[in-house]
Amino acid sequence: MAEPVTVLEAIELTKRFGKNTVVDGVSLKFPEGRLHAILGPNGAGKTTLFNLLTKDYPVDGGEILLRGERVTRLRPHQISRRGVGRSYQITSVLRELTFFENVWLASYRADHAGAPGLWRDFRAHWATAEKTRQVLAELGLEPFTDRKAADVSYGDQRLLEIAVTLATRPEILLLDEPTSGLSQRESERVKQLILSIKGKFTIIMIEHKMNVVMDISDDVTVMNRGKVIASGSPAQISTDAAVRSAYFGL
Amino acid sequence: MNLVAAQIVNGLAIGMLYAVMALGLSIIKGLLNVPNFAHGALFAVGAYVCYTLSTIGAPFAVALIGAFSGAALLGFLIERFGIANLTGGSYLLQVLFLFGTALVIEQILVLIYGTTGVSLVPPAMLGGAMDLGFMFLPRYLVFCALVGAFSIVAVWLLIEKTRIGSSIRAGIERREMVQCLGIDIGTLLTLGFALGAGMAGLAGGIALPLLGANATSGNDMMAIAFVVLVLGGLGSLYGAVAAGILIGVAQSLTTLVAPSASTLLIYVIMTVVLLIGPKGLFGER
Amino acid sequence: MNKNLLALAAVVLLAVVAPMVIPISIANEIIVIAIFAMATNLVIGVAGLYSFGQAMFFGAGAYLTGYSLTAGGLSLVPSILIAIAGAAALAGIVGAVIIRRSGFYFMMLTFAFNQMAFYVVLVWSGVTGGEDGMAGIKRAPVGGLDLNDRSVFYAFCAVLFVASYVILRQIKKSPLGLVLEAAKENPRRMASLGYSVHGAQLAAFMISGAFAGLAGSLYVLLYRFVPIDSISWIMSGNVVFMVVIGGMSSMVGPIMGAAVFVWLQGLFSLLWAQWALLFGLFIIFVVFTLRGGLIELFKRVARIRRAGEAHHG
Repeated sequence: MAEPVTVLEAIELTKRFGKNTVVDGVSLKFPEGRLHAILGPNGAGKTTLFNLLTKDYPVDGGEILLRGERVTRLRPHQISRRGVGRSYQITSVLRELTFFENVWLASYRADHAGAPGLWRDFRAHWATAEKTRQVLAELGLEPFTDRKAADVSYGDQRLLEIAVTLATRPEILLLDEPTSGLSQRESERVKQLILSIKGKFTIIMIEHKMNVVMDISDDVTVMNRGKVIASGSPAQISTDAAVRSAYFGL
Repeated sequence: MNLVAAQIVNGLAIGMLYAVMALGLSIIKGLLNVPNFAHGALFAVGAYVCYTLSTIGAPFAVALIGAFSGAALLGFLIERFGIANLTGGSYLLQVLFLFGTALVIEQILVLIYGTTGVSLVPPAMLGGAMDLGFMFLPRYLVFCALVGAFSIVAVWLLIEKTRIGSSIRAGIERREMVQCLGIDIGTLLTLGFALGAGMAGLAGGIALPLLGANATSGNDMMAIAFVVLVLGGLGSLYGAVAAGILIGVAQSLTTLVAPSASTLLIYVIMTVVLLIGPKGLFGER
Repeated sequence: MNKNLLALAAVVLLAVVAPMVIPISIANEIIVIAIFAMATNLVIGVAGLYSFGQAMFFGAGAYLTGYSLTAGGLSLVPSILIAIAGAAALAGIVGAVIIRRSGFYFMMLTFAFNQMAFYVVLVWSGVTGGEDGMAGIKRAPVGGLDLNDRSVFYAFCAVLFVASYVILRQIKKSPLGLVLEAAKENPRRMASLGYSVHGAQLAAFMISGAFAGLAGSLYVLLYRFVPIDSISWIMSGNVVFMVVIGGMSSMVGPIMGAAVFVWLQGLFSLLWAQWALLFGLFIIFVVFTLRGGLIELFKRVARIRRAGEAHHG
């Protein structure tokens, strides 16, 4: 089998907050179409790594390559427009807006390359509205179409978060702890959802729940104190001594 | 050469005024996170208190203390009976309250003193100029710079060296810590606002012999103080002091080449700094 | 859709009925100032950008019209168009410098630029008339319409007023409007979806500037005079006040706010030469009443503020 193409690559990425180096010379390659999980204890720098890859934070050192193109100096919306979609650990759905409006904004951006239109009522952008309903239907969120995000359960907000991210029709999907704060049943639902889209996207996922990681990911990277301490298949990782001492505290 | 030196001294004096104004704003911003739109009106209050006390024969030093105290007292009332009752609500309501208060203060000043404005001759010992050999140095400018510097140092000592000051500092840096220190946060905010307001009043008093005063003359000062705060105060209480002096000197030196452009220069500097300076919003600051 | 038509009908009705029940000059000032208030609501209410420098665009429109009609020797329609374009361009320049600043700093900077504009007008008295303002403005006829007739001029303004309402309301409901509302709540998420938040905000700032310029232009035509007050920061504060008392959730709110403002200003100035004092007291009074009364307004703004704080940390 041919080596898959690397779609996203971090080279010696570094981020400091004051005196703390939170991400310390991390180099990673993410091959196309695979599900890559990032593990690590709290404070390992996983979310910060995401924030660097999406340029939510400026980079203090190193480079980011997106399909070989250097994107280290771009702004977050430019990264997004190059096909990188992301969900946040702390649910970042727009609480004052309805499910429809939340997903609509993502769909519209995918449909519409230029500046947002400023005349026609947004609901009257029929094609976008149709795609919005499709995404909501695919995730079983139709009943919430006209509900305000603030008014539903946390689990449903997490699903909306993923729906919004998918609706931007990204090629690379960054999921930051998609199951955090969810009940067993809800996280099973999210796991099935991720399995169902696996292969269609390159997925990079931060996850704490070992069972989720081991069940569905192709590659696993373990971080601790801002550094990569191990990379490999789920089976390799679960037997790695360094990982065990850092992550499982054994 | 003499001219340049004279303008630098002039700039230092004016810059000190800006610094005093901006430091007051900076304290209020730090504690209450509101832009004090009444700062200009409080400046005018200070000027008029200073004027009134001087005309009834009080020594200039007393008049200046009066300028500080009068504005501080007003600030105390504004915070205690106004802003303190508007917390937990909208930001815009607090800002509008300060706007309304500024209008009321200005109009009351007009009511008492009329619209023509007042001026004050500095006391004899501060009048005239010192002969330094290579230039004449107006005494009042030196006084102005010294009093400005003195009051900034006094505030610095208050904040860094006293118990109440360290609470104010704690209030600015970490709100939740203040409760642990056993200090009532409401009192702290009131005192902080009063201190900031007092500094505006003091600036008004010092500026009176230099610039004169009318009810709305504080607004220009307020605008400049805002600019100074933006330039120097991003996150630091004392950055505003450096920026104030810098702006004052730059402005003064410009009057040598293009007098009418000197105020505009402030905004030009601001624009340039904003354009090339650290960027906001996504942490790139 | 019906709700939209209903609101439009109400606005048209208001424009038609107003001059019948109140003096036409007051009605005329209301609809002109209402354009200004609606424009301001686009930045304050929709985009959540607390601009305290809106008078700079109103004033730019006013002075550009005054200058075009007098020294410029232009006819009426080009003068208005120049006012709109000039105010929008000014908003574009100012916005480009300050749009990345948020919250507290945005407020202070809009005020500072407003004060700069005021200063320029004051110093450049050869052109602007300085403190005395700019007089001698005539309403040249437009396509056979004699605008010196009060009713004709009112109708002219009313048409522009309704058009402004329709356009600004459409913008509020358009994709841009939704993007702005969303960015107000969570700018970071909007950027991660691929929207240029600053771009959208700058667009709103410029559109708002354009309509403020139109309002300033009509104001000058109404009074045949450009007062320096038109560009003072008091005007900026006043228009924020109108938007807040009227309510920010729709474009009808600011119209109501403008009506209350103009009516009260007229009333107070009849009572006492020192009317601004009464007005200041009124603002303070309203601020405290709103605190208890319009709870919904409160919650909404509080949430915006929380989102802002969470964001700036």
